[in-house]
Order: sequence, then structure tokens, then C-alpha cells
Amino acid sequence: MASPPADLPRQFASRAELEAQLRELFPEAPGGLSPIRGGRQAAEQLRQAANPARYGRSRNFLDGAVTRLSPYIRHGVLSLAEVREAVFQKLRAGGGREAGEKLINELGWRDFWQRVWRQLGDGIWHNQEPLKTGHSPASYANELPADLAEARTGLACMDAFSQELVTTGWLHNHARMWMAAYVVHWRRVQWQAGARWFLQHLLDGDPASNNLSWQWVASSFSHKPYIFNRSNLERYAGSSLCARCDAAAKGTCPFDASYEALQERLFAPAAP
Amino acid sequence: MKQPILWIHGEALGPANPALQAHPGRPAVFVFDEALIREQAISLKRLGFLYECLLELPVSIRKGDVAEQVLAFARQHQADGVITSAAVDPRFALIRSAIEHELAITVLEPEPFVALNTPANLQRFSRYWRQAEPLVWGGY
Ligand SMILES: Cc1cc2nc3c(=O)[nH]c(=O)nc-3n(C[C@H](O)[C@H](O)[C@H](O)COP(=O)(O)OP(=O)(O)OC[C@H]3O[C@@H](n4cnc5c(N)ncnc54)[C@H](O)[C@@H]3O)c2cc1C
Repeated sequence: MASPPADLPRQFASRAELEAQLRELFPEAPGGLSPIRGGRQAAEQLRQAANPARYGRSRNFLDGAVTRLSPYIRHGVLSLAEVREAVFQKLRAGGGREAGEKLINELGWRDFWQRVWRQLGDGIWHNQEPLKTGHSPASYANELPADLAEARTGLACMDAFSQELVTTGWLHNHARMWMAAYVVHWRRVQWQAGARWFLQHLLDGDPASNNLSWQWVASSFSHKPYIFNRSNLERYAGSSLCARCDAAAKGTCPFDASYEALQERLFAPAAP
Repeated sequence: MKQPILWIHGEALGPANPALQAHPGRPAVFVFDEALIREQAISLKRLGFLYECLLELPVSIRKGDVAEQVLAFARQHQADGVITSAAVDPRFALIRSAIEHELAITVLEPEPFVALNTPANLQRFSRYWRQAEPLVWGGY
């Protein structure tokens, strides 16, 4: 049966051809394809490769055994229930419940944010609670600074993350946290500006997980703002970023300080 | 509904989609939401990812105003209703009621990650997880 005329094509000789077709269909959409492929087959491969025990031990490290399933879960290519079952099956085959606690817990985070979204609707775009930074909401800039979006902050870590976000559409959770903290606390930019930028690019871009994580970093959905320092970043990212960073070489790395010093530098004392 | 079409949306692009499971073989459509894509300046890589997911599903792919396109697809197939799956995005509710204006629509619930037996406490994750964790592991 011939397709009705309004249908978009389903046959492509190559990814390059798909990309060219998409450029024609959506001329305003910036950039090109991600190296990460969509579809159930790609999702199945990642599901098979997932290793709950290694995940539990290494998930905070940029080169740790995270699943990279998020874009597929976000779009229901694999449902959260299917992933839960796949994890259970692996645990039954070896490792037992203990080996899977962490991964199941992280799946719980996704379920949690979805439930909050169901409850708040578009309210997830507004602060859930007052900021705990001592700064008024009005003192945060509305727009994302161009040097960040263009990966030319001069900070090797942030520029690498920005570039990875824009070219691949995926970032490790820790990189997302560091980047969000940098945007909100060091650059004093509204979390919404950062959240909008992430949603343009993340293949797993999901207003609930994204905005509420930004709010968690900003402190409008947590007890205190999230910050990090250079030694925390080097511990989980390795030292290669700092080794090639001009700011680190010149001694101007804004993260190279103790948590106490950073607290003092970044936040205003709470009103008495 | 004797002759429904299926509306597949971006929260359910896999075989666990309850509409696809309940009505295999019925004509199905996915619509790229042009207004949303433009307003949020969604990058091409996100659209490409979705497109590749769709190429592995038995669906017609369209773009434009979602409700209009779903209704046009329904007319083409002389459908007497639309079947879809529940979505969390509040935009879904708007599109759903625009469709419902002209045609009956049934919304099927996907299998949940966990079914709670008390109202969820969503103040903080830790409180929610205290309720949910034992139930999740109950299935292990
Ligand atoms: C600022 C910021 C923005 C974020 N934006 C998004 C977003 O738009 N979409 C999104 O899916 N996640 C988002 N996250 C959460 C998390 O970073 C990603 O889900 C995770 O890094 C995806 O990689 P993975 O699939 O390897 O995760 P894994 O660690 O392997 O976890 C498995 C699955 O659990 C879920 N998950 C894990 N951690 C979280 C979490 N903290 N919150 C919610 N779900 C989680 C995901 O579905 C993930 O695929 C954000 C986090 C931060 C700090």
C-alpha cells in the first residue's frame, strides 16, 4: 500500500541522508546528528551491557559504568518497568539485591521527578522554595552567557562539558551537576536559563528530571546549594582536564579552593 | 471503538507502549510538534534521535500541529476514535482535549515502575523512596 502523501519518509540509505532530510524538514533546528543512535536495537545493546554491581561502585566517576540508557528511558523506547525487570534478572543471575540497590535507587529518582511533574505541571519552571544562597532572585541574570554556550570560558572542564553537550547530547550526571553549579553559583545565572539550554541539547532532555535537578543545585528544591571544588572534580573526572587548563596553569581556577572559602565567596550570609 | 487509529507520542516510543500492545496492526501516527520545536529551539540531534526511534516502530511520521495531524490521519483511515497512552507532559492534556473535540479518545496507562498503596509523599526523594523502595523490591 502506498503511503498517504503527508507522511515523512521512512527509507534512508545512510545516517547522512537522514541528517540531510531533517535539515530540510526542520531548517531552524541547529546542529547535526549525535553519534548516539536512537531506536530499540541500540537500547537493547546498552541494556545487555549494564552491570549493576560495577555501576554501584563507579557511577560517580566520569569513566564509571553508568548505563547511558537515559535517552531511551526518557522517550519510552525502554520503559522504566522494563529496565527494572532487566536489572532484577541480572541480580538473580548473580550479585543479589545488594548489588542492585544503587541502580534501582537511581531509577527511583526518575520515577520521583515524573510524579512531581504530574503534580506541579508547568509549575516545575518556578522555584519550589526560596533560594538558600542569601542572594535575591533578581540578582541572577536571565540569559546564559555566550562564552558558556560557545565553549570558550577558558576553563577546560566547562568548555569540554559544553562541547560534549552540544555535539553528543549526553553528559554524565556529575558533569551536569558541576556545570549547573557553575552556571547558577559562579556565574549567578537563573537556573531556568541553564535548564532551557540543556533541554535544547540533551537527548534525554526531560523537563521534570532536568528542571528539578537544576532546582536541586540552585537550592530551590533542597536544603542548601550544591557546589563542588577542584579536588572534587579531579577525583571524579581524573586530572587530564586540569592538566590542559590555562586557568589552572595561571592559578586562576575559580574552583581551586576549600569548601569553606567557596561558601564565603559565593553566598551571602543568611539574614539574621 | 471498532476502527481506531493509534496516536504514538514521545513518551512511549517502544514496544511497551500499551496502545501498540492492545491494538497491534492498527494504523499508528507520530507527529513532530512544530510549534514546540521552534519555541524551544530544539536541536537537530534530538529530532534525529526521535526519528531513529520511529524508524523501528510501525508508525507513520508527520509534522505540524499535533491534534490537527492526528485528526487528519484518523479521517484518512475512516477511524471512529483514537487510542493513545498516558503522558506526564502537561502539553499532552491540551492536545488530547483538542482531539477529543472531534473524536473519541481512549488513554491507556503504561505499566508503572511501582504502584504505591498510599498517596505519594513528594516533599523530598527520601520520603518518597521510603514508601516506594519496599514495593519495588517486592517484585524481586
Ligand atoms: C542539572 C541536571 C540536569 C539533568 N537533566 C536530565 C534530563 O533532562 N533527563 C534525564 O533523564 N536526566 C537528567 N538528569 C539526571 C541524570 O544526570 C541523568 O539521568 C543520567 O546522567 C543519565 O545517564 P545514564 O543513563 O547513564 O544514568 P544511570 O546513572 O545509568 O541511571 C540509569 C537511569 O536512571 C535514571 N536516573 C539516573 N539518575 C537520575 C537522576 N539524578 N534523576 C533522574 N533520573 C535519573 C535515568 O533514567 C537513567 O537512564 C539531570 C541531572 C542534572 C544534575
